[in-house]
Amino acid sequence: MSLRVAIDTGGTFTDVVAIDDVSGAHYAIKTPSTPSDPSIGLVEGLNKATKAAKLKSSDVGQLLHGSTVATNAVLEHKFDGLGLLVTEGFRHIIEIARQSVPDGYGNSFFWVKPKRLVPLHLVREVPGRMTFKGEEITPLDEDAVVKAVGALNDKGVRCVGVCLMHGYANDAHERRVGEIIAEHFPDLFVSLSSVVLPEYREYERAMTTLIDVMVKPYCQTYLQRAAAKVSSNGKGPSLLIMQSNGGVVSDQTAAERPVTMLLSGPAAGVLGAAHMAQLAGYEDILTLDVGGTSTDVSLIEKLTPHVTSHSLVENYPVKTPMLDIATVGTGGGSLAWVDDYGGLKVGPQSGGADPGPICYGRGGRQPAVTDAAVVLGRLPGALVGGEIVLDVDAARAAYQALGSRFDMSAEEAAAGVFEIAAANQVHGIRQVTVHRGRDPANYALIAFGGAGGMFAADVADFLDIAIVISPPDPGNLSAFGLHVSDIKRDYIRTLVRQRSVADTNEIDAAWRDIEDRGRDEIAAEGVAPDKVILTRSGDLRYVGEGHEIEVSVPPGTVGDDAVEFLWKDFHRVHHDTFGFQYEGEQDVELVNLRVQALGSIHRPKVAEIEKGTDAIPTGQRPVYWRGDGWSDCPIYNRPDLGAGSTLVGPAVVEEYGSTVVVPAGWSLTVDAFGNLILEKRS
Amino acid sequence: MSGRTAGQLGPVELEVILGTVRSAELEIEAAVERTSRSPMIRDQHDYRVALFDARGRKLTGRSYSALVEPVFEYFGDDEIDPGDVFFWNDPYNSSGGIGHVPDLCTTIPIFHGERLIGFSQVFGHHDDVGGSVPGSLPVHATDMWAEGLVVPPIKLYERGVVNSAAFKIIERNSRLPEHLKGDIDAEIGAARLGSKRVCELAERYGADALEAAFDAIIDNCAATLRRELLPKIADGVYHWQDYIENDGVDEPRLHALRLTMTKTPEKIILDFTGTDPEAKGPINWPIDYADGKFARKWMAPVLRSLADTPERAAEIDMNEGVLDVIEMKFPEKGTLVTPNFGKPTGMRFFILLRSLGVFAACLSKATGGRMPADHETIRIWGLHGGTTGSDFFLFREVLGGGGPGRPWADGSDVVHVVPNSRNLPAEFSETRYPVLIEKLALATDSCGAGLRRGGCGYDKQVRVLDDSMLLSNADRALLNTYGVNGGLHGATYGINVVDDQGAELPVAGMADNIPVTAGSVVHIVTTGGGGWGDPLEREAEWVRYDVECGLVSVEAAAAEYGVVVTNEGDAPVLDDSATNALRTKMRGQRDTPQFFDRGPYFEDIKRSNGVTWPDDWQDPDDHVVSAKAGGVHKAAS
Repeated sequence: MSLRVAIDTGGTFTDVVAIDDVSGAHYAIKTPSTPSDPSIGLVEGLNKATKAAKLKSSDVGQLLHGSTVATNAVLEHKFDGLGLLVTEGFRHIIEIARQSVPDGYGNSFFWVKPKRLVPLHLVREVPGRMTFKGEEITPLDEDAVVKAVGALNDKGVRCVGVCLMHGYANDAHERRVGEIIAEHFPDLFVSLSSVVLPEYREYERAMTTLIDVMVKPYCQTYLQRAAAKVSSNGKGPSLLIMQSNGGVVSDQTAAERPVTMLLSGPAAGVLGAAHMAQLAGYEDILTLDVGGTSTDVSLIEKLTPHVTSHSLVENYPVKTPMLDIATVGTGGGSLAWVDDYGGLKVGPQSGGADPGPICYGRGGRQPAVTDAAVVLGRLPGALVGGEIVLDVDAARAAYQALGSRFDMSAEEAAAGVFEIAAANQVHGIRQVTVHRGRDPANYALIAFGGAGGMFAADVADFLDIAIVISPPDPGNLSAFGLHVSDIKRDYIRTLVRQRSVADTNEIDAAWRDIEDRGRDEIAAEGVAPDKVILTRSGDLRYVGEGHEIEVSVPPGTVGDDAVEFLWKDFHRVHHDTFGFQYEGEQDVELVNLRVQALGSIHRPKVAEIEKGTDAIPTGQRPVYWRGDGWSDCPIYNRPDLGAGSTLVGPAVVEEYGSTVVVPAGWSLTVDAFGNLILEKRS
Repeated sequence: MSGRTAGQLGPVELEVILGTVRSAELEIEAAVERTSRSPMIRDQHDYRVALFDARGRKLTGRSYSALVEPVFEYFGDDEIDPGDVFFWNDPYNSSGGIGHVPDLCTTIPIFHGERLIGFSQVFGHHDDVGGSVPGSLPVHATDMWAEGLVVPPIKLYERGVVNSAAFKIIERNSRLPEHLKGDIDAEIGAARLGSKRVCELAERYGADALEAAFDAIIDNCAATLRRELLPKIADGVYHWQDYIENDGVDEPRLHALRLTMTKTPEKIILDFTGTDPEAKGPINWPIDYADGKFARKWMAPVLRSLADTPERAAEIDMNEGVLDVIEMKFPEKGTLVTPNFGKPTGMRFFILLRSLGVFAACLSKATGGRMPADHETIRIWGLHGGTTGSDFFLFREVLGGGGPGRPWADGSDVVHVVPNSRNLPAEFSETRYPVLIEKLALATDSCGAGLRRGGCGYDKQVRVLDDSMLLSNADRALLNTYGVNGGLHGATYGINVVDDQGAELPVAGMADNIPVTAGSVVHIVTTGGGGWGDPLEREAEWVRYDVECGLVSVEAAAAEYGVVVTNEGDAPVLDDSATNALRTKMRGQRDTPQFFDRGPYFEDIKRSNGVTWPDDWQDPDDHVVSAKAGGVHKAAS
């Protein structure tokens, strides 16, 4: 039982990183994804991993997995058969939403309210009412529940979300509704808001609950199938599923609350980035994960990825904690085009993997960013270790045609498209950092995904970032990130209390209550109860503020001290986040108590690479630089570079599956773990 | 390292500069929200930001802004220096850019070396700037001085040095000085962030290329209007008028805003001549400055509704380029839009919205009815109670209303004109205030009937658990939102109180300090959007579905749409043959459909000859309904 296998299912490829616990050997493998049934690709990846490691499948102790099943169900709008049960008087809850019209002033004239997740005729009211203190004013009308669910069932509803007023404060009515549905309509999928997100604000809780129940059939079917395939006779590796919060849980746990799987894929990449950046000696980092159609960016401070409870998925609010990852609609496959007014644009349309860029020769006709990289000499004439031969002439002809519309040469047009693509990524990073009041210039940029290294220095240049990190095997960083995850679950309970009248014992007791639950549930994942690490935090605000911020309590601080810490440290966090605080002037209000329960699992050792000597280029080719023109540029083979090797730009570093561009003015050093550290010379 | 192609503007530089200006606008907005303190700014999003070129021309396109002209008017070229912060809120000395005193405007010049290359500006609606009532929006004010401290254009910072005397005076005049100071600091910080982005562009591409790009950005807006929108408007002269129903001081009566729109192949001229005299109360709007630049930029976005699709409409940037195609003319001093110095302006948001409505109505006449109908989107209601500082509470909500029906879609429900404004969740309200929200719904039959109906307003029922005082601050409580091109009017705003004995007390739209006893239920219904097009042509199945969803009653389905629906079992059933018969009968019995339908309150006044218009106008409501108005998109059901 020595092999641990991590498998990250992507749109085109399923990435596998296997680590032999005994020898410490790493194996990185790619296998085609199988979108119609991702479990086929999963098993294929597992088999390839054991084969590469020359081990048997019974030697696999643990299978860590990042899946896009939940995300795809949402992106593909599989909303049929969804119904909603609400408290009497609130039938229009998701129609009303928060009355917001997005974007510009006065858009309400022409903006069309998007279709809601559940059409109104599939929303039913049931009598029964709680107060915010959890006291029952009106008992639940059980007959009405049977009748309402029966009507939904008759109309073809298969998944029912239940969101009753103040269900977070007292879940008795919701639990009873769950029991009634289980008794009368056992085939229906059900999610209760008090289970999915016991937090106040009924619209957001209802939406999160609906997303949960909507992805449930897809996730449960997939996870059951995957578990059955990887284990024979009930024997097999334990299956751990990556969640949006950057932690893993068992497949059974994930299936119970699948809304937590929405960022199962990208979350692992952020973890891997944090781990490699730590080895490289950096702790404040921006991640740049450049894919084919888009780029994911996130912020890591003091090695902790930023977590948010305010995510929008396809514009639907999902309030469960997720790593704060923003997506920009520009990637390697983004297309260059000219608008009706003669403006040169890049993206968001993309050629995707099929047909892909023109240079792939698979029928792509519009010039993509990747084609520009080929024209400029940033990419070699063949990709992925020579397996994909690129049609440089076709790419060049397309840029010749594009450039002729602006009186530019092919290479000028290609360099311009690259500049615009980098600027688009810069705008995305600005939106992520400005909300936190951070200046990107103070961070190191870690670039991964197939095309990350091609862009990173250009993006850094815009942002005045002086350090760029390219981790080893950047195309497989997400799969690697699965290996550095922990078993982790988040718990929340709304408890609105103003400091001036709050009862410390009540707050501490509520915390202990959810801690007990966390300890039990993490222990159920196979972690010894005394090894479960519990971290308390709370969401607070000044009385009168419309939104709250999270304050974390240091480990080990409990009882009165923990409550006191919350009250006190809130002012500091508020100042850090918003630039001002009112300590001693305004009353503070607690809104939510949170607990994160964590069981750490094995951390693989990242092997150090051999010491290198002076970097020796394998050759050179002409590369075009915007403003400076063509120059003969040394090309390096990344596997040839050892620890301590250095080189200066302009240069291109190539390896299987990825390319790192080092412009003039930048130098490169290889660290002990194989990270390429690009530094801008002042 | 940067600025490799300094000096030259090519398509690449233009695209990056355009993208950066757009991104910077979002960044400035995010910085305002993150660091300001007034809930009105942080949570209700009542603020605007903009970047301008060195001549004060607006570059950003998401929304309107104030103006830079006061800087030029009050300070010479040699008095604009790096590190300066200009500041004002004076409705009569801001070139028309600031409409009421709670809007504090901060403007900073952007320099690249010694060269002025632009301005960055933020203004926001602050919680309190003094005046006769907390919140600085007195309903019964009869002059500007009752509304708060008035600051003409000054330098709050001069070459980076704070003018602490001015700062102290401003702070001293607010009931919430800490908030005010924090808000001003936040505005300055956010504006500086915007200026930094413009400087970075100048560094990278050179100031000449940057200025050339600014010209192109502005020219592109004008070109877009000329190419995509103006050709859809028939040349000619069009009149329309709409009203504020109550100025808070005099008895309710119609205060008319009158607009003459002249369309030529190249231009639109908007003329407010004929508008009613200035009001005693705070509904005036001084915009007759700087050639009406502010109002032209405020009203121009209405044109976006003529874009080919709503998605395209949202893409069209509205910057200084709109001035190229829109001109404005004003009547003599002393009208609602040309008030004499010192007239109160606090509630000018009513006339602000009416200006959009009259422009949209003129455009409807000029486009065969392709424009959206009317919607009313700003009103405030609330409860306050308690006597001591510790038990005092103020539960105040800004509630949206139904959006307008339009050729391409039904109106959106309960929308608010301010982007990203938010209502208060019931669970939040109950936790914070002594209330129980018994119903939070869309108001049945509030939507104006039409081929494309208006959106619904709110139907909110709030049980009051402690003795409280009620306030309401709303227009369109008497006059309905108008329907267009055969569409019918939407429902009015209404608020009443039912006490625990069942006695009902109606409350006026403009009201304050109405006592409400514990156990009473406050019932609020907000305006529905006007309908668009003939309701007898609406897909009968859609009407049936609206009945099933509780948005239209069985009675209204028959009376307004001619659709016969019977309630059998779980879902209402459509009676096709009865519907056909009823629609045929209704078509035969009715007069020619009206182009504008303003509802019963207006009709009553009109019947008693209370509606007038200038001598050289015909009845502005007379217009022939376009049977097949261009571009009705049959949306998927």
